Amino acid sequence: MSTAVADQEVALIDLVDRLLGGGVVIAGDITLAVADVDLVYVQLRALISSVATAEDKHLLPRMGSAL
Amino acid sequence: MIEVYAIADHPGPPLPDVNGVRAVPAGRIAALCADVEETALSPAALWAHEAVVEALMEDRDLLPVRYGTRLADEAQVLRAVAERHDALLAALDGVRGAAEVSLRVVAPTDGPAPAEAAARVHEQLAGQARAATVLDAGESRDLLRAAYLVDRGGSAGFAEAVATHQRAHPDLRLLCTGPWPPYSFAER
Repeated sequence: MSTAVADQEVALIDLVDRLLGGGVVIAGDITLAVADVDLVYVQLRALISSVATAEDKHLLPRMGSAL
Repeated sequence: MIEVYAIADHPGPPLPDVNGVRAVPAGRIAALCADVEETALSPAALWAHEAVVEALMEDRDLLPVRYGTRLADEAQVLRAVAERHDALLAALDGVRGAAEVSLRVVAPTDGPAPAEAAARVHEQLAGQARAATVLDAGESRDLLRAAYLVDRGGSAGFAEAVATHQRAHPDLRLLCTGPWPPYSFAER
């Protein structure tokens, strides 16, 4: 795997960790079970090479962010 | 369907014009949500969700809600938030003024995995953060997946600390991203 592809994958994996495994759970129809996360990783990794990399902005250090 | 993005104070600053997000208030908090269509799971869908949460976080504290939290109507949203009002408010208090930084430590492809070194890096970084938590690494080869709660605006300084550890441990790969909304510190 090239370094560039690896770097693109970094932020997406971290995003998936957070959106699917984090966040507060309130009552509701959660469409994704935590148990499916590993399957989601596999599916997403197959897609990563075709994604325009909005995720690049999350690679630290990112200066001047409001967050 | 209504997607709930986050829990925030009510009343709060005016909402940004993003994806038609509106507030459903319940006491001192509100669910920030929007009407959504069924969407297939994809990187683009996840980033679009993230963009809404980050836009909301620009001028308010918030608790991000688990992705995929969808309810039929506003009455259900109101009920869900009202039932846990005090716990949600306490959790919101816990992340005020903070953002999350992610760290993954990846093992070298050959040779012994320096798990102890990764644990020491985590211990030292945790000492610099408001809070820290270790995430499940699943079936990956990651030696560590962790999240650190840092002051807003403090993520660049935290990343410098990570870079220092990277230089001290050339046998490890330290992958640091952020700042993120405090997903890993929302459920306390």
